[in-house]
Amino acid sequence: MKGFHGQARGRNESAWLLTASGGLDHRLREGMRRFDDEEEVDVVVVGCGAGGSVLTQRLARRGWRVVVLDAGPFWDPDTDWVSDEAGSHDLYWTEPRVIGGKNPVPLGSNNSGRGVGGSMIHFAGYTPRFHPSDFSTWSNDGVGADWPISYEDLRPYYEHIEAELPVAGEDWPWGDPHTYPQSPHEVSANGQVFQLGAAACGIQTRVGPVAISNGRFGHRPHCIYRGFCLQGCKVNAKASPLVTHVPDALAHGAEIRADSMVTRVEVDDRTGEATGVHYVRRGVARFQRARIVAVAGYSIETPRLLLNSATARFPNGLGNDHDQVGRYVMVQGAPQTAGRFETEIRMWKGPPPEVSSEQSYETDPSAAYKRGFSIQNVAPQPITWAEHISAQGYFGADLRRYMSDYPHWACLGALCEFLPLPDNRVTLADEKDRNGLPVAHFTYSMGENDKQLMKAARATMEHILQAAGAQEVITIERYAHLVGGARMAADAEHGVVDRTCRTFGVPNLYVTDGSILPTQGSANPALTIMSLAARAADLLAGH
Amino acid sequence: MTRAAPEPLHLPEPDGGRRYPGLDVMALSRHWDDATIAAVAGRMGMPPDIRFFTAGEVATASALCDRLLAQDEDPRVPVVAFIDQRLTEKETDGWHYDDMPPDDQAWRDSLAALDEDARRDHGVRFDELAPSAQVEYLQAVQGSSEDAWHGMPPGRVWGLWTRYACTAFYSHPWAWEEIGFTGPAYPRGYKNRGIDAREPFEVRDDRPDLDPTKASRARGAR
Repeated sequence: MKGFHGQARGRNESAWLLTASGGLDHRLREGMRRFDDEEEVDVVVVGCGAGGSVLTQRLARRGWRVVVLDAGPFWDPDTDWVSDEAGSHDLYWTEPRVIGGKNPVPLGSNNSGRGVGGSMIHFAGYTPRFHPSDFSTWSNDGVGADWPISYEDLRPYYEHIEAELPVAGEDWPWGDPHTYPQSPHEVSANGQVFQLGAAACGIQTRVGPVAISNGRFGHRPHCIYRGFCLQGCKVNAKASPLVTHVPDALAHGAEIRADSMVTRVEVDDRTGEATGVHYVRRGVARFQRARIVAVAGYSIETPRLLLNSATARFPNGLGNDHDQVGRYVMVQGAPQTAGRFETEIRMWKGPPPEVSSEQSYETDPSAAYKRGFSIQNVAPQPITWAEHISAQGYFGADLRRYMSDYPHWACLGALCEFLPLPDNRVTLADEKDRNGLPVAHFTYSMGENDKQLMKAARATMEHILQAAGAQEVITIERYAHLVGGARMAADAEHGVVDRTCRTFGVPNLYVTDGSILPTQGSANPALTIMSLAARAADLLAGH
Repeated sequence: MTRAAPEPLHLPEPDGGRRYPGLDVMALSRHWDDATIAAVAGRMGMPPDIRFFTAGEVATASALCDRLLAQDEDPRVPVVAFIDQRLTEKETDGWHYDDMPPDDQAWRDSLAALDEDARRDHGVRFDELAPSAQVEYLQAVQGSSEDAWHGMPPGRVWGLWTRYACTAFYSHPWAWEEIGFTGPAYPRGYKNRGIDAREPFEVRDDRPDLDPTKASRARGAR
């Protein structure tokens, strides 16, 4: 076996802490250390997704007393998840939220998780790095924003997390060229169509990068190619914090308190410091004391919590002295184009993530728009496929005839780098949730550059599928992923957290999730969120 | 949903066209895990009792969903019962538009609006109209360029109806059989994943002549 196993294990033993057959070891959870609410722990983390779990695991390893609270359940993939679309609604954040703007963005299954593991439980599995250019789009192109850190600051963390997930893929030629710890998976029909069509158009593709174990990794089994990555991986071959970081965190004394909805960060107005978090568990309002609070609730719930935590000293919410909380929330334009073939493709067989192209990722000096897009395989299951067909206007017998043609279709998805705009933001709605707290209102409107990118991506995907021999192509316009809302900046006038993820204004309050991203590239965000959290842990522990 | 089953069942012609003869999804369930069997088999038995919709709303919703999904005769996938269950349990998609009520109220309001249109024009309930007349009302909502239909953006009403109806219908093994989908695949997985490759338990498209894109290609060629 390659040497990366041993190195990854030295940092994170999670894959070796599963049962021999690759399941969650319930003894770890039963033997979990438990802290009293009254005990001032070193850090309380809000949210056990990509950001919160990595921060927790890293700090627990250093001997910190860590409690992480998650609003959702502590999953057991074996009993709680199903190999079925409609049966997987529990995986999504479905508490009420309101959407608006010129291009309202649906939430829920598309981009919002709940429970231990967060939305990585149902992410497809693509884990590309950001490109070096993503960290300075303002300097380079006069759009977006510059980060207060550079690619070089994140590179070692990308390498570490890629080994721990682990990531499988071909050698990567784009951005900062790099290799992956695992070799690429064998490609199924849907990916082959992409490869054939792209080659005919002179577009480069590569297999991966996917956080799906290609071969055994610790006790994690090999992928069985059953196609339900977006419904939670029952096999535990696909990475999610539940199998990649939670076991090691528990083994090092962290407490993961599930079914605990945090309602407010408590700040002592006299000192200006956070003292812990209020949360509701089993209907009872409780308070966990902590020396440091780290919020990792993602781009909707993190701003909502900061806004709902207003005090006399911070009347507009925490980290919000300059009206920055909730602003610059981004989604990626994610049109999906399907092509119809004489042959049977059966795109649902095999993992939805297979092949990618980042050839159009960077600004094309000859184009009218700035920044770019990537293209990846996607593989809709039946209900999602019905959305594609329904979006063409078909219903009744026409819908069912088109649906009956399902085996003949292959599908691609693009990720377009939509730019951060101040009015794309999360605010508090009048509507309240079951705990009486205002729910999030998310306003989104595309800019002109965004629209042009979406058009260019769509044309490229249609071109690829036609070059592969498609008899008809259909496109559905949609959005994917969420980042921003509490962005990292050089100063409080331009963001919510500094280069160490510490909020401006409250010195012991941190944000360690996707909401801190100032730009998004056209890469899926999971790997970058995990890497930022690993870096934040290093900086915290160095203090 | 009463359907005695002497042999593998298929939804009626002509909709799916029986392109995958012999595909019997539930016969494959012995290869699934227990949690998945429980979820899918639950859709095959008695449909849940109606708890959210009133009797009048059930009549309107049934006509609406029958047209949306071309379920013109029994046996039918009990789509309205599945939608009612979701609305009762507030199993939403996790969002609603700021210019629409929450989904449960939006369903009530939009069903009432269909009835109102039918009464205004014909003096009868929506479900009492001929199917072809019902379709015309639906097309009016789908194709509307007005800002509001009974106070709601018509495109969003259309989206609400089709999202809920398609989710209910395409969660059902009968619908999977019609589209050549063999259903859950854990713990078995797939081995033959290439172009035109099939697992032993998959059924080849028996009616490639039913290619629905032929019609649109013919239109394009004219």
